[in-house]
Amino acid sequence: MPEVKLIPEKWVDRYGDYLFNFTISRVNDPIMAQDLVSETFLAGLKSAHRFKGNSTERTWLISILKRKIIDYYRKINSNKGKAEVRMSYLSSSDQEGDWMEEQAADLRNPNVEDMIEQRELGDALEECIACLPERYATIFVQKTIDNLETETICKEHNITASNLWVIIHRARVQLMECLNNKWHKNS
Amino acid sequence: MSRFFINCDQASILSTREQYGDLNPKEAFRHKLHRGHCIGCRSFHKNNQRFQRKLKGLKWIALTIAQKQSIKKCLTEAMSK
Repeated sequence: MPEVKLIPEKWVDRYGDYLFNFTISRVNDPIMAQDLVSETFLAGLKSAHRFKGNSTERTWLISILKRKIIDYYRKINSNKGKAEVRMSYLSSSDQEGDWMEEQAADLRNPNVEDMIEQRELGDALEECIACLPERYATIFVQKTIDNLETETICKEHNITASNLWVIIHRARVQLMECLNNKWHKNS
Repeated sequence: MSRFFINCDQASILSTREQYGDLNPKEAFRHKLHRGHCIGCRSFHKNNQRFQRKLKGLKWIALTIAQKQSIKKCLTEAMSK
């Protein structure tokens, strides 16, 4: 495997949306998700000297982000954090009440079932995208999620349109197989 | 005749391009013609369409340009230090 070099200048454009999606499905708060992505990049920059090049940039950044998300939940589950959550709950509604009763989802609601299924599929897809070769994953995300123009992606990666479609096609075939293994077999 | 008939490799790429609305009428016709006599490509195209529907059903949330600029600014400042 060729040695991978870090290019922090391109992190936001290349992995920003992917990390943001990964985070928002776990913390469900866009502002916090943005902060966590930002912190991840800064932590990556600080520990860049420890990057050995054995994994891809994206895999390495995701591992940092996962630790940041765990720290975030540790913080809100600490006593101080619980008090902060309670305060923000009370200040937002002016009413006292049972947080669980009012905020937790009703599992009998059909919309909730759909949401859970969407989330499971989203998580499975993220895992499958992470298994793709980095170039395939980046191009697939840019075309499918970011909806970038074919020309723009071709220019950025210095490839022809037919190369791009071959890459997207191969990425999709791998994703379909991966999802079939991970998601459909579990459901 | 070769202007109309394509092989399975070409058909599968056209199937993927179709999911992104990238086919011109001639390519769409060739693809349809191929699917008419190829069971494998017909089945692949169905799966490809199903996969696309699943992808469209997912809520993808991207960073806004302003959010990206803000993160880039933090990163640039940290790099200059």
